[in-house]
Amino acid sequence: MKREHQGSGGSSGGYPPPPPSSSMGKEKLTEEESQEAGVDELLAALGYKVRSSDMADVAQKLEQLETAMGTSAAQDEALLSHLASDTVHYNPSDLSTWLESMLSELNAPPAPLPLPPPLQTNNYGSATAAADSRFLFDSSVIAPAESSTITTVDPNPIHGPPVNPSRDRKRMRTSSSSSSSSRDGAATAASVPAEVSSVVVVDSQEAGIRLVHALMACADAIQQENYKAADALVKQIAFLAASQGGAMRKVAGYFAEAIARRIYRPPHPQQDCGLDSTFSDILQMHFYESCPYLKFAHFTANQAILEAFSGHRKVHVIDFGMNQGMQWPALMQALALRPGGPPSFRLTGIGPPQPDNSDALQQVGWKLAQLAGTINVEFEYRGFVAGSLADLEPYLLETRGSGAEAGSPEEAEAVAVNSVLEMHRLLARPGAAEKVLGTVRGLRPKIFTMVEQEANHNAGPFAERFTEALHYYSTMFDSLEGGGGGGGEQQDQMMSEIYLGRQICNVVACEGAERTERHETLVQWRARMARAGFEPVHLGSNAFKQASMLLALFAGGDGYRVEEKEGCLTLGWHTRPLIATSAWQLAG
Amino acid sequence: MKRPESASDLLPPEKKKRKSVSDEEEEATEAPDLGEDLVLEVLKRADARTVARAACVSRRWRRMAEDERLWEAVCTAHWASIGCGTHQLRSVVLALGGFRRLHSAYLLPLLQPASRPLSGPFSPGIAPASGGRWGKDEVQLSLSLLSIGYFMTTNFGRK
Repeated sequence: MKREHQGSGGSSGGYPPPPPSSSMGKEKLTEEESQEAGVDELLAALGYKVRSSDMADVAQKLEQLETAMGTSAAQDEALLSHLASDTVHYNPSDLSTWLESMLSELNAPPAPLPLPPPLQTNNYGSATAAADSRFLFDSSVIAPAESSTITTVDPNPIHGPPVNPSRDRKRMRTSSSSSSSSRDGAATAASVPAEVSSVVVVDSQEAGIRLVHALMACADAIQQENYKAADALVKQIAFLAASQGGAMRKVAGYFAEAIARRIYRPPHPQQDCGLDSTFSDILQMHFYESCPYLKFAHFTANQAILEAFSGHRKVHVIDFGMNQGMQWPALMQALALRPGGPPSFRLTGIGPPQPDNSDALQQVGWKLAQLAGTINVEFEYRGFVAGSLADLEPYLLETRGSGAEAGSPEEAEAVAVNSVLEMHRLLARPGAAEKVLGTVRGLRPKIFTMVEQEANHNAGPFAERFTEALHYYSTMFDSLEGGGGGGGEQQDQMMSEIYLGRQICNVVACEGAERTERHETLVQWRARMARAGFEPVHLGSNAFKQASMLLALFAGGDGYRVEEKEGCLTLGWHTRPLIATSAWQLAG
Repeated sequence: MKRPESASDLLPPEKKKRKSVSDEEEEATEAPDLGEDLVLEVLKRADARTVARAACVSRRWRRMAEDERLWEAVCTAHWASIGCGTHQLRSVVLALGGFRRLHSAYLLPLLQPASRPLSGPFSPGIAPASGGRWGKDEVQLSLSLLSIGYFMTTNFGRK
């Protein structure tokens, strides 16, 4: 693991050449004998003992070793084989001494370190660029800490023992214009020259960065089924998380809990959260209130539906996830104010079975019917209970208008299918998504609106999924931190965090059919939709404008960003899109 | 027609006694009591702030200022048409909470220029409404929010 450092301050200055091996070695041994205090935990979990304060030297020596081996290998293969077989090394876990002995074998002279490159600050929303900002620049993890709280990470997990510096060099990236979140804290972006023979050192005392590293190391350990290491790391994560504040602590807490569930394997990890769908509706309501993602979803989808319905006297909306029906009052109002008068509006709502047998679907339908009455929109409602969307059959949804009732095309019923955060659940069962898309095709809709999380939380390897999710939910939680007004808002925020926490638990702790939060990106969905016989419908600029205006009404609105991507709209926090709305019609 | 400052002249006679000191100082002449219909006609042409101020004058004025017709005028005078008829609009908005609510809760926030500049490279034409005008998108957004607010807060009763 290579570490790099931008010290803008003078504290780094030039680096002294490595001290003579003997004194160094003795210091190390005695200190390690006394206690493991100050030993880097991450390396310790992998079996290496390196003092945190010696990390600088270790990194430097690794560089030198690599250079020396590189040069000598070109000239002398015998030297390498000598290194491999004839030299005797003691205490391989004592990296520093081991490296010194290797270096002395190669007679590599200590190279003087060049001065560290100038620090380039990235003024992302934050004013406080601390003068001595330091951060970790790992081989595979890029942590451009814009704050001490949230860091962004490269989706490559940490691999194995850190004695392979060569590949790291190529993967170093310069400044983090990519994502990150958070407003507070120290500054950031690293500008590192690509030609790296300069080794720069980081003081890794930044607890936030260590926390991220601990989380990812833990994920890696789990993927390698090294549960002992994972267990050690979980404890450490909890400890480090307590030192954080705000969004990072909460996110780390949820991830730590999810990891713990995964390691200790309770029979149904998700169920332990002890929540049924009524409660999850309530949670979603608070999420709806506290941040603009769901409102954005509804507004943009409604705009597409409205346009598709223009000119039709009979319209039918099939909602794959009725919940509290919050999307439909606005659509009904817009239909009521349509020039020429409203069409007759039919709504079919689909929802999961309720454990207490209450008829939530019917209640929502009833409320909407009353609303329709007050604004004089002819309204018909039908609710369907389905455990999974794949259980639906086209004939059940009873589309009218293609048969005898239809006269002219305008008399035919225009159908819109709407799915907000529902399609990804189908990916838990093979073939289910294709079946549902086939069902949708059978309905011959004028438009199919789909809103999904913009993330890939469905990748094969666990560690990859974990890292993606960590990034995603960190950004999400960060965007929630804005609203801190009165009591009501705080409760909304808290419930929203629980809502997101449940998703985190599902992504991390569950597998197989239980893992329903299988988010995929717009790119992935596009491919799937194309295979299923759909082509995209571009969302118009008025959807974009309304969405942007909506954001301005939210506190902290300047962090949110609406973007248009090939006809689809995404809403995100700073540069990271978090939710995407797309619209589709039958191809050909 | 005198400015609102001298609206005290239009007060019912029993209230004039309290104002008599300032009246004497200003030597204001007594204006005739115009009657509610005329006051309403005048206020219909006033802007939102004036109407709101008028509501502070007296209880009677407050009742007048809460008249939906006034706020309908306030809203529609300065917004882009969304294509529907007046009656259509009126019936829908009144059903969903009224123009006064529409204005104060939803239109007004859209009017204030953002204290932070609207961010992002792709924000064409989101300039805040200037001079009290609302564009089509502002109108539609505020109507949507009105309907959602109505739906959330109204107790529809159990079936």
